[in-house]
This record gives sequence, C-alpha cells and structure tokens, in this order.
Amino acid sequence: MEQLFYYLKVSWFSVKRAPLPYMLTVLILSLGLGVFFSNATFYYRINSDPLPAKSDKLFFPMMLLVPYQCSNCKPPSVLSYSNIAKLNASDIPSAKAAMYSAGGYLRLNSEQAPTPVNVRITQRDFFSMFDVPMLHGSIWPDNQARDEVLLSKATAEKLFGRTNVTGQQVLLDDRLFTVIGVLDQWQMLPRLYDAFNRNYLNPTEDIYLPLESGYDYNYLSNTNSSTFEDADYRKLATDGRTKAIHQLQYWVQLDTLAQQNAYRQFMANLVADEKAAGRHPSAEANQLVMMRDIVSYFDGESGDIKAFAIVTLLFLLVCVFNASHLSLNRYLSNQYEFSLRRALGANRSQLQVQLLVDMGLMSTFTLTGAAIIAYGGIKLMNYLWPANSLFASWDLQLMLALAALTLLCSYLVTLYPSLRASFGSLNKQLKE
Amino acid sequence: MITLTNLGKIFRTELIETHALRDVNLQVNEGEFAALTGPSGSGKSTLLNILGTLESFDSGDYQLDGKSVKGLSDAALSKLRNEKIGFIFQSFNLIKDFSIYDNIELPLRYRGLNAAARKQRIEQALELVGLHARRDYLPGQLSGGQQQRVAIARAIAGEPRILLADEPTGNLDSLMARQVMELLEQINRQGCTILMVTHDPDQARRAGRNIQIIDGQLHDSTLYDPLAQHTA
Ligand SMILES: Nc1ncnc2c1ncn2[C@@H]1O[C@H](COP(=O)(O)OP(=O)(O)OP(=O)(O)O)[C@@H](O)[C@H]1O
Ligand SMILES: [Mg+2]
Repeated sequence: MEQLFYYLKVSWFSVKRAPLPYMLTVLILSLGLGVFFSNATFYYRINSDPLPAKSDKLFFPMMLLVPYQCSNCKPPSVLSYSNIAKLNASDIPSAKAAMYSAGGYLRLNSEQAPTPVNVRITQRDFFSMFDVPMLHGSIWPDNQARDEVLLSKATAEKLFGRTNVTGQQVLLDDRLFTVIGVLDQWQMLPRLYDAFNRNYLNPTEDIYLPLESGYDYNYLSNTNSSTFEDADYRKLATDGRTKAIHQLQYWVQLDTLAQQNAYRQFMANLVADEKAAGRHPSAEANQLVMMRDIVSYFDGESGDIKAFAIVTLLFLLVCVFNASHLSLNRYLSNQYEFSLRRALGANRSQLQVQLLVDMGLMSTFTLTGAAIIAYGGIKLMNYLWPANSLFASWDLQLMLALAALTLLCSYLVTLYPSLRASFGSLNKQLKE
Repeated sequence: MITLTNLGKIFRTELIETHALRDVNLQVNEGEFAALTGPSGSGKSTLLNILGTLESFDSGDYQLDGKSVKGLSDAALSKLRNEKIGFIFQSFNLIKDFSIYDNIELPLRYRGLNAAARKQRIEQALELVGLHARRDYLPGQLSGGQQQRVAIARAIAGEPRILLADEPTGNLDSLMARQVMELLEQINRQGCTILMVTHDPDQARRAGRNIQIIDGQLHDSTLYDPLAQHTA
C-alpha cells in the first residue's frame, strides 16, 4: 500500500515535469471518448431490448388480407377491423391486442384551455403484454366500448396536480370520460410495439382509450392507414368496421414454440378459408415477426445514427493514435529516469507496476474529462434533435462500459511507450 | 570477489564493429580500492558497466562472489544491482525534482524495506556524507560537490559490497574533488570494495591498485607509472 503511494508520487512528479503535454494527452483522449460515448449512449439505447424476458414471446402477425391482387408483396403492417376480428377468434395466444394511435385534446372542464395529447386506442391485453405498471385503479375488464380511460402518471399530474384520480372525469375532445386507472412511470425504450416508420423513438402515450370507443367516436389513426375500394376512411364507426380500412397493428403473446407453430398454422388456415371465400386474391405472404426482430424487419435501423456511430469510432481511434504519440514523447523524455531506476535495482516488473499506476492516474483524469464531454455532447444532441432525447440517459452499465473503455484506451496509450521504456538499453541514458 | 576471464565486448552498429574490450582477465578482491585509468575511448566505462550488469558482454565470463552472472534473469540481475552494487556517475544522475532524502531512498524503495528501516539507512548515509541538514533540499540547491556526495549517499545507503564510480570527480573542482575522494577512502576503509574510473593521476596514485586499459586491453599494475599513460 505504501509502495503504491510511492508509485503514485513518482507518476505525479512526472506529470508535473511536463504538465502541458500531459494535459493535451488527457484532453485528446477525453474528447475522443466523450464524443464516442455520447453517440454510443444513443446507439445502445435505441438498440436495447425493452422487455428482455418477453421480446421473444411477443409476435406481430401480418397477412395479405387485402382486396387486391399483388405478387411478391410484403403484407402491410396494418390490418382492418374485420381482419382483427378473425384473428382475435383464436385462443392460441396467451394475450392479444389490436391498437393504433390518434391525437386528441384533453381538459378537465370547458373553461380550461385544452392540451394536445397522444392517445393510444387499444384493447385490455395491451397492459399485461407490455408489462405496463399500474399506479392506481385498474384496466378495462373486457374489450367492450366504454367511456373509460387510463392516464399516464405525467398526464394525471399535469391535469389534476396529483395521481390518485380514479373515478374523476375528463373531457377528451369534449366528450366526458371517467378515469379508471393511472399508470405508474412508464417509458418503454425503444417503444417497439409501434415500430413501423421509426415510431419506436417516440415517447409513450398520454391517455389510453378502448378500441371500440375509438372506432365509435371516429378517431382516425395518426400513423399509417390505408383504405381500399369504396370505403370512406372518415366513417370509422361504420365503414371502418365492415370495409377495407387498414389501420390496426396487432400483437399476440405466444409463450412456447408449440404455441408459435400452432399460431402459424392458424394463420395459414385462415388464408385458406379467405381464399375459398374469394377474399385473398394474392398468394399467401404471412409473417409472424418476433418483437426482438421488429425493427430490422421494418428496416427501421437508423442509417444516419449508425453512420455517425462509425464516424465517432474512427474519431476515437485517431484520438488514441495521437494520444499515444504524445505519450511516447513523454516517456522518451522520462526514459533517463527509468534507466536510472533500473540501474539502481528496480526490475522490469516493478517498472511495469509503475506504468500501471501511471495508467491508472491517466484513466482517472481521462474518465472525468470524457464523462464531462459526453454529458455535454448528449445535451447538445438533445438540443439539436429533441425527438431523440429519450435515449440520452445513462445507467450503471453504461458508466461501467465507459470506464472500461477509458481503461482500455489508456492502456493502449501507455503500452507501447512502456515497452520502449523498460526494454531500452540501460547505460546510454546515464552517460549524458 | 570479482573474477573476469577472457571477457570480450563488441559494439556493433550498421557501419562498424568496435571491440570495446578484448580478452580481459581481472581479479578484484574484497576491500580493494582500484583505479581504472586509460585514454578516452579505451573501454573504461564499458568495463564498469559490465561489472555493474548494466551492459552485457559477448565472450568470456564474469563471476561475482563465485557465481557467473551469465544467464541470470532480469529479476535476479536487478536484485544483484540493488543489493550488492552501488553506482556513482560522473554527472551525479540525481532526480531534479525529488528531495535529497527521496533521491537517496530510491534504491531502497525497490528492496521491500519498511519505512523505518529505510529511514535509518538514509539518515546513516546522510550522516556519513555530512549533509544531514540538507535532507529536504532539491539537488539544484546544492553545489556540485554536495550533489556528488548525495549520489554517494544513495550508492551506499543500500550497504553494497562493491562501489563502481565512473569519473566521480570529473565534474568537480579540485577542492570538492578532494572531499569526494576522502569520502570514498573512508567508505573503503569500512570494507567496501571500490572500482573507480579516473583521469586524475593524483587520485590514481592514492588508490591501492591501478588498472590501466588501453584499446580495450588490460594492463594491471599496482605501481603507478605516470609515463605509461603518456606514451601509450
Ligand atoms: N553503445 C555503444 N555503441 C557503440 N559503441 C560504443 C557504445 N558505447 C561505447 N562504445 C565504444 O566503445 C569504446 C569504449 O567506450 P567507453 O565509453 O568504454 O570508453 P571510456 O574509456 O569510458 O572513454 P572516456 O574516458 O571518454 O569516458 C569506444 O570506442 C566507444 O565509441
Ligand atoms: Mg567513460
């Protein structure tokens, strides 16, 4: 322990001997690591698995249940109300829910100014399927239409100034609804249940409405929908239920391989039935995509984020290269002292320990610098692309990764110089 | 205690081979004070560095206390340097931003001595070289002679059995040189074997034994002959 302090002291004196090049080395390394890390945070968050225990059990079925013929087509990502009714008939999934999103205006009473809200219009299994935590109240007992909504915690706080508001009433687009439940703090990152069109980068919704009520009150989808034949997309309550208005995303939970195979078979049977009824003119093109794979299925991986990640990695390499160059100069000018210590009896491993301590000291400075720069970088990115700000948070795992990367870079920066220093010829330096 | 047999050293560069030492045979006994003299470039420093295991050799053998140093590991050589050998350089080689105390402590740090043992040895060494009052000074705050005495204190703090000094007074004026010589003689009287490279005939005369190197070859003589150096 005491010897460790000695090594630290020797390191510190060598820093003090040439503080400017040292600071420059630390700065360059911090910059490379900071920039890389602020970007890596994004990349890591966006590619992380929001439900690791379930992401291989939740599936997104897609079928070509459309009234037109199309060869080599991918099935659309949305289904019509009548398609859903057919799919919902299966008891194979442990849970199933159709959903879409819409915009609305919310207020407590007609005197208040309304605030725009995002509405998720869905069915009761949604909450259990995506592990949504409840704070107060309960969810809908079934999939019937009812004037009952659930609020996010933030929405309840904003509207009422508190969270326990079950039984209270709100005005959504000036219709009266009763709050039956309030969600706890919930942010599925990324929000994979809505993966099409990179919607998964958005925050979760403010208010939740039963699917049947959404159709009754004519809430139109604000993401993607397509209408065929004579259907009028503005008449959700009527045409929406009977005609080819496709706007519903559908998720099923299939826990076992047997369930998954059975469900695939169910989908194939459904296609056969539809074909027999003349409602499936195209060849079968069923898809059952695991939640884990949904982003890549929709080709939603953000190309620019990936490119940026590669650029920052290259930048980091350049920084490491430069820093090791600076560090080599520093060690060459210190080589005299190394030789002296060797001549007076320090062996190679003792000098290696010295270099490890050097590295530890540099890592400490660099880690501090890198954390500050990475934090600044994230703030800057949030400022430039506020939509992505959800993905800019750190956790222990990320911090540890940064620390490990810093250690690795500091090691690379001290490794070559250290070898030079401890295997160099001894007597040359001491002669002068 | 030191036995060199047919020792040879060749420096090879891209252009030339320098036979720095050829067929050197030498026996140094415990307690001797030997002066190494010879013209510039004759191989004195090379010999001293080989004796101090700072430099390897190409042929022959070097036995220290009856054991060959050939093939010893880095750790073993370092231990040997640390415990048996003390080095004194012409240019002092003190670390400029370390205090006198810390400079003397340097070799002791690699020996696994505890703080109390180190302190005791450093104080003893400081006492011997008469610089106890300057223990917290930096080398730059001392005269050249004082700096060399610090270097001597550093060399003897580990209580080595051999002291190797390469022109220890080369950078000093005659008064300070005499003080350093007296100090070395005192250390020798306490039993430490000393090999010292010098250009000063007076110093060579004061040493008990005079070893001459000319062109990498040894001319051992216990009697000092000033003419030998000039006619060589
Ligand atoms: N590292 C080296 N590489 C190549 N040649 C060397 C090296 N060190 C010494 N020599 C050569 O070996 C010979 C002996 O050198 P050495 O330093 O031992 O001489 P010296 O007797 O100490 O001289 P001086 O009195 O000037 O210090 C010289 O010719 C020198 O050029
Ligand atoms: Mg010399």
